[in-house]
Amino acid sequence: MASIEGRDISKSFGGVRALRNASFSAEPGEVQALVGENGAGKSTMIKILSGLFRPDAGQTWVQGREVVLGDPQDAMRLGIGTVFQELTLLPYMTVAENLLMGREPRTLGFIDRAATASAAWKLLHEAGISGIEPLELVANLSLGQRQIVEVVKVISRHPKILFMDEPTSALAEREVEWLFGVIRKLREQGTCIVFTSHRWNEIKGIADRIMIFRNGENVGTYEATALSEQDAVEHMTGRKLDMLYPEPVTLPEKTPMLQVSNLSGAGLHEVSFSAYKGEVLGIGGLAGQGQRELLLTLFGVNRARSGTIEIEGKSVRIGNPREAIRRGMALLPEDRKTEGLLLPLPVRQNLTLPILGQLSRSGFIRRDCEASLIRTMIDRLTIRTPSIDQPVGALSGGNQQKVLIGRWLLTQARILLLYDVTRGVDVATKHEIYELIKHLSQEGRTILLYSTDTEEMAHVCHRVLVMREGRIVEEIAGPNIAPEAIVAAAIHVAAQVNVEVPR
Amino acid sequence: MSTEQRTFLQPWHRLSHSQRGTLLAYIAVFVLFIVGGIYRPSFVYPNNIGQLLLLASFVGIVAAGQTFVILIGGIDLSVPWVLNAMAVLLTTTSLGMDSRAWWVVPLVLLVGLAIGIVNGLGIVLFEIPPVVMTLGMNGVMQGLVLGLTGGFTCSACNSVAPPSVQTVITGQLLGIPAGLLVWLLIAVLAGLVLGFTTLGRRIYALGNNAVAAYLAGVNVRLVTVIVYALGGLFASIAGIALTAFGQQATLGMGDPYLFDSIAAVVIGGTSILGGRGNYWGTIAGAIFLVVLRAVLQEYNISEAGRSIATGVVILVALLLYGREAREV
Amino acid sequence: MSTTETKSDVERAQRTPADLRLHYYGAQNVPLLLSIGILVAMIMLYLILFVLAQRRLPGSFELSTTLNNTMSVGLAAVGQTLVVLTGGIDLSVGGIVDVTNSVAAQTMHDNPGSMLGITLLVLAIGAGAGLINGLLVTYGRLQPIIVTIATLAIWQGVALLVLPQQGGAIPPGFTNLLAGNIGIVPSSLVIFILLILLWQVLRRTRFLVTLYAIGNDERAARANGVPVNLAKIGAYTVGGLFSGAAGLYLAAVATSGDATSGTPLTLTSIAAVVLGGVSLFGGRGSAVGSLVGACILTLLLNVLFFAGINPQLQEFFQGLFLILAVVASTLVRRFLQSER
Repeated sequence: MASIEGRDISKSFGGVRALRNASFSAEPGEVQALVGENGAGKSTMIKILSGLFRPDAGQTWVQGREVVLGDPQDAMRLGIGTVFQELTLLPYMTVAENLLMGREPRTLGFIDRAATASAAWKLLHEAGISGIEPLELVANLSLGQRQIVEVVKVISRHPKILFMDEPTSALAEREVEWLFGVIRKLREQGTCIVFTSHRWNEIKGIADRIMIFRNGENVGTYEATALSEQDAVEHMTGRKLDMLYPEPVTLPEKTPMLQVSNLSGAGLHEVSFSAYKGEVLGIGGLAGQGQRELLLTLFGVNRARSGTIEIEGKSVRIGNPREAIRRGMALLPEDRKTEGLLLPLPVRQNLTLPILGQLSRSGFIRRDCEASLIRTMIDRLTIRTPSIDQPVGALSGGNQQKVLIGRWLLTQARILLLYDVTRGVDVATKHEIYELIKHLSQEGRTILLYSTDTEEMAHVCHRVLVMREGRIVEEIAGPNIAPEAIVAAAIHVAAQVNVEVPR
Repeated sequence: MSTEQRTFLQPWHRLSHSQRGTLLAYIAVFVLFIVGGIYRPSFVYPNNIGQLLLLASFVGIVAAGQTFVILIGGIDLSVPWVLNAMAVLLTTTSLGMDSRAWWVVPLVLLVGLAIGIVNGLGIVLFEIPPVVMTLGMNGVMQGLVLGLTGGFTCSACNSVAPPSVQTVITGQLLGIPAGLLVWLLIAVLAGLVLGFTTLGRRIYALGNNAVAAYLAGVNVRLVTVIVYALGGLFASIAGIALTAFGQQATLGMGDPYLFDSIAAVVIGGTSILGGRGNYWGTIAGAIFLVVLRAVLQEYNISEAGRSIATGVVILVALLLYGREAREV
Repeated sequence: MSTTETKSDVERAQRTPADLRLHYYGAQNVPLLLSIGILVAMIMLYLILFVLAQRRLPGSFELSTTLNNTMSVGLAAVGQTLVVLTGGIDLSVGGIVDVTNSVAAQTMHDNPGSMLGITLLVLAIGAGAGLINGLLVTYGRLQPIIVTIATLAIWQGVALLVLPQQGGAIPPGFTNLLAGNIGIVPSSLVIFILLILLWQVLRRTRFLVTLYAIGNDERAARANGVPVNLAKIGAYTVGGLFSGAAGLYLAAVATSGDATSGTPLTLTSIAAVVLGGVSLFGGRGSAVGSLVGACILTLLLNVLFFAGINPQLQEFFQGLFLILAVVASTLVRRFLQSER
């Protein structure tokens, strides 16, 4: 009997089908990897089976009985534990308070704070973790430490079914070993474990079975030992590997566009590199190793303590995003919904926000001029929207991302900083974005790209710089970059936390 | 639901929440006039309507500043005593003399603007929450007025507003109180700024999401200071208008306008969180508040009852179109 | 765990050394410590000015009066703290105080039964008003600032209906109980200490932990399975209860009722909360800080008095002080962050 099953699950967001009659099944005492491209529906399925979203159609079965998961508490009560991609830690509360929320040890009916701290210590210790102080505020932990705390929190409730959505994105090699040791132990105890990952080596190392999603459907579950990477990618994408990504066009000549020397500051240490005209330069590494800080510093959001930035040979000081935009830079931030787009505002206003100055005469906006620019961009990017006054929040994720890209294309930026541009985007749009990136690079623009999908980075970029703890530690040059090379360079980091790999 | 009914309601569904709010507010004003007219027909004579609208204009002018501030997600709690201070400044500096009016009025406007700028600077430079900054400023202005006028016992305190200024508000132009034309002018300017200028776009962007606006190149600090400056400016204009209307400045004349300005903005469909709404709604809200109180007074409802009724009405308005969306 | 570690080793390692605990407490409570620092500075300033003016140290009469004057703001501030911790704000505090002090003055008679009964009634009214706020915010999904502005108007009106003119009378026995002395100790001091103890207890309940979680990140709090809706409603309800208590105390001190005397308490309670280091964004702060903030506000008035400042400039200095206090805390915070 399967531990958990989803049958015929469908879910749409604003007109785009994230899941279409998808099925899902996992057995007790097994580790299943859920793989697929960005936008294939993996995260959505997990969120539905964890009670976070309600499906438009379909049923959920737990231990052979049909259930309705109205909210995460229902799922927790049924023994389902989930480590979501967006961590559920409370930043200004301590590690101990977070770990034991809702089940703090009590004395005489009241929470015993000292006992909570030592109970937390015990939980961490039992999980094999030391080096995280229970009394520390979560806000003061690094991303990797927070990921570990979230994992410990979930597994300490002894779930019978454990979901983990990209749990290793910020973990160093030893920490990943620790996590897999924990998973193996849980598997021995009969727990059903499902996790998603973009890293083939990891998957092969721990999964018993691999379930592949493509375009919102489950296209098959395979024994891990029987599936090769080529086959997997073919199932994931429906095409042969060599037809998947547009080949980056080799650079005719290497003219420097952006030159960074010894940049140090918030989260960065002596970062130096050059980016060339027409180059797609990948910034890789584990999550939270300084990639975000690098892009934010280049864009003027963070202040560098020392170092120089040169654009086309001219030294520049960029103190805020406005100046960065004036210098021809564009930033597509991490979370388009909370940092990029203004969801309740119309497409029109979202598209032209940075270039208002150019579209106005003595403060008044020239609406006809604006409208024609917008229409051109909508056509160019095939943005699907009923009208330019439609609130952006009503568009699908892929179209929202296109609006964001369109905004920055309108600024005619020569240097584009892209942070995880295909996250949460449906597969079709994803490929359109790859074509667009290739096109932009052919036009001579420089693109700095960070992605959680190493496969994507390996195939779309000319070069990849791997970052570790705010430094650039390796440069991997194309053509034919191997994703494993990026991963290998990335995870070879000193663990932030002392781990005991469970035997 | 039959297809016929559905198409009838379609225009309603096409409106955004704040647009619905604005429409409902205007409908409610209309209904209120009818209710008032039923009790006393002269309630709806042009004369009375004009007077009520003039009273509403004072709320409306203060609420103009409050609209801008609330649109970026802030709030201005300093309006009562900025208004009062500017009123006192007007009378005690002009001493009721028309010959001085030409420089006193711009001076008062500038001082109001400056106070607003100080509010804005405190908020952007020192990260003082708007509630705290404007609350403190209110106290500062109150203290200054009381202290510098010796509790309003100074010799100049009983001065009147210059007659020319009085005429601008209480005079009549084609049968319409002149003050209403001032309000109309403000309404047109506010509507133009919010709907057609780059500043307006940036205000809505900031109000929707300050981080996203910043990353899109909006000068968040400058827009914030400008908006609070407008708050101070409009409080100042209202102070001048009220003094022109009542001829003299009094202590505490600004107090009712804090509640009223915020209520007018919210009843008019603007979200208190910012990013949604416009001044036309606020106008409806201001008129609604004033007419509601007038109608209640017609029906002999005491001040206590009027206060309760106002509160209930705001809650009803919010429940109709001020609710936050449920999470997926 | 290696085989050479014994059970007691693990136990000892589990107990965090006291100085480590102190370090974390200090690091995580900077705003509260800053407020206490300001309070101490105000006390010293007050002492100096008092001695210069009166040529003696302040005695129990001064202590009693100061605490009496602080108590209603303090009670209101404690209630406001609960609401602010969830990221909300309660502007109806003043209205609830208006109603409760009017009801108390109007209905209380000089016998223990009446005093107890009316006390309970008044607290129930406060809690009921808070409950309405809480339901509108949580299930109505309305914004706290505007809900409480509306209920403020409603309660102000109700207060005027109960007590159209200043009047009513609070029996002297009740006033003595709340604002007099118990032996040589001022009652207000006893109440003060009880409030601090009450907070220590409240801090250790699921209720408060949930409030902090909501203020940190409501979405994450829900995902953690804590009773978010119930706790939020509870915050407003208990907040209203404390506002009711503040109204009761105000009536006791004034010995009569006034349907408008509570109105200033709305903004004063917010000032006290801010001065106490509680974040208006929610999720951080302590009601002890708010009590400290209330004391700071009263002492400020005393300081102004003994410094011979024109009483008409009171609001000026209060407003300026509030702004400067927040500026100071911002600068301190920036300084500490740059040290990191």
